[in-house]
Amino acid sequence: MKPLLGTFYLLGMLVPGWLGYDRSLTQQRQEVVDKVVSPWSILETYSYNRYHPMGEIYQWMSEIREKYTEVVTQHFLGMTYESRPMYYLKISQPSSNPKKIIWMDCGIHAREWIAPAFCQWFVKEILQNYEDNSRIRRLLKNLDFYVLPVFNIDGYIYTWTTDRLWRKSRSSHNNGTCFGTDLNRNFDASWCSIGASHNCESLTFCGTGPMSEPETKAVSSFIESKKENIACFLTMHSYGQLILVPYGYTKNKSNNHEELIQVGQKAANALKAKHGTNYRVGSSADILYATSGSSRDWARDIGIPFSYTFELRDNGTYGFVLPETQIQATCEETMEAVLSVLDDVYEKYWYTNSARKAKSTALVLGLLMSFMSLL
Amino acid sequence: MQLRRQPLSAPRPGDTRPAAQRLAVPLLLLLALQGAAASGGPEDSGWLQDAEPSSRLLSQAARAALHFFNFRAASPSALQVLANVLDGRSWVNQKKEYKFDLVFTTEFYSAEEGEKRLGKCSAQVFFRNEKPRPAVNVTCTQLVKKERRQEEDYQLYKLMKQLKSPLNAVSIPDSHGYIAPSLRPIWDLAFLGSSYVMWQKSTPFLHYYMSQISSVKQWKTNDDAIDFDYTVLLHEFSTQEIIPCRIHLVWYPSKPLKVKYHCQERQTPEEASGTEEGSAVALTELSNF
Repeated sequence: MKPLLGTFYLLGMLVPGWLGYDRSLTQQRQEVVDKVVSPWSILETYSYNRYHPMGEIYQWMSEIREKYTEVVTQHFLGMTYESRPMYYLKISQPSSNPKKIIWMDCGIHAREWIAPAFCQWFVKEILQNYEDNSRIRRLLKNLDFYVLPVFNIDGYIYTWTTDRLWRKSRSSHNNGTCFGTDLNRNFDASWCSIGASHNCESLTFCGTGPMSEPETKAVSSFIESKKENIACFLTMHSYGQLILVPYGYTKNKSNNHEELIQVGQKAANALKAKHGTNYRVGSSADILYATSGSSRDWARDIGIPFSYTFELRDNGTYGFVLPETQIQATCEETMEAVLSVLDDVYEKYWYTNSARKAKSTALVLGLLMSFMSLL
Repeated sequence: MQLRRQPLSAPRPGDTRPAAQRLAVPLLLLLALQGAAASGGPEDSGWLQDAEPSSRLLSQAARAALHFFNFRAASPSALQVLANVLDGRSWVNQKKEYKFDLVFTTEFYSAEEGEKRLGKCSAQVFFRNEKPRPAVNVTCTQLVKKERRQEEDYQLYKLMKQLKSPLNAVSIPDSHGYIAPSLRPIWDLAFLGSSYVMWQKSTPFLHYYMSQISSVKQWKTNDDAIDFDYTVLLHEFSTQEIIPCRIHLVWYPSKPLKVKYHCQERQTPEEASGTEEGSAVALTELSNF
């Protein structure tokens, strides 16, 4: 199985990479190529404090699945423009309990390297601690985590081989003279109405139509198929230190806006308590800029109640090129924020039910007591 | 705070003032409107105060003010970045000119992890016709004593003089965000030069960050000053574009910074692309740019 996987990785990685070969970045490409097929386990020495090329992330995913086989499964979502497979990891404690889904994706924009780093960190934290950490154990009783570590795989690879500050996908347009769609402008949420461009040259090119890109199609059709059960949709970006709620395409607010802000603010407070980092909370249109076709807005509009965009560190000092020395602190504080959101989501669906039962029992008892006293 | 409009006085019923007087007031107001553009008072010139200034707009104005401050201070060891806007008011008029009155806190650009000394600045920022290069009036509390700042600048200068040209660095920082300690002064000096460019290019709607130095063309230190010719990649936040700018600066500690730059704009909204000369001091000796 492994040699087959290895060949598959090689094909998936080398062929497109060859086409984008750049002599001045020989060393980086060499890393990408070398790390693709490793007969040895990388999990033993995998550093979550470093950035990893896509080949290593693919390998990491399959080793995670093999090591934590009782709770982890790996699933195929679809193919990227350059024909690479998109996989998500499902973390689920087998039980007869009804479950709600928490979706997290990272790296929809290629240059935001800290985001895929956080997705990997998140998976590691859950899996290393779910057995003896009561908070995580509780969450896993009724929540399943679906994690897509890299959304824009072609773009991510491109930032390793050719252009560190590439943002979009690598789809070809205008007869091969222009590349890339901004995947976070490609969703069917007031598509291309504002804050996006019909011009392929633009970094906010919305694509040739809503959901025109294979990556967008892959994720959206999956989410659509599970939407009744998805309680929370988290999409991780950088930079800016923001927790964003809908909408970007209008200043109007979602019907649960107050609740989203409250939960978001609580998460920002938990984040700040860790290392003192300040995050602001608000709707995209209010505190960031107008955008249309974003995955978060689309998720909210199809009915997923808790839909957030996280813009991770920093505030512009290093921007997209966040030093590896900051990965740990960033991931630790972001973990606190995400767990805070998950606690709130959990309480909304399960604590409320049991609290309601307790309240109604108390009410009935109270009524009985007053009846008795009247007799 | 309610939106306040300057009412043009009109004759009210029962107004028995003579005609000449009724004319005088509107005439005076007209004169006030003409002349008040630069005087800054909120009550004149058709300025509408924003009842709820957007925090984003205030932050952008504060950043523009800080770019100007950093350029003027010309001190690579004491560069400041925006921490928080404490208080801000904004006005706009019919000519689409924007005015800001701000109080904000700052941090050291080169702050070590955990070092959190905050400075405080107050600034007035004026954008004409949504155009870049705002007029800035800014004062900041002294985070570091002048002597110490000059000493640290001089230390930086000595370190930089020891660096041999040609510098082999291609990208600073590298893809992983790493800056070799010996190259750190280069990054700081590049940020100083970029501050000038970012101030020049900031509008109420466009604001910039320095992403990476993509190449170093020239690094000379003859006749004492540091002569630095490099290309920097600026990140414009609202369009998400990466804009390469070729910058040529000359720096000597405690002297004003001399800068020339040329940015490659792919899309040209209102500003014309092309070479723009900068700096108040003539760069006659840098003729090979």
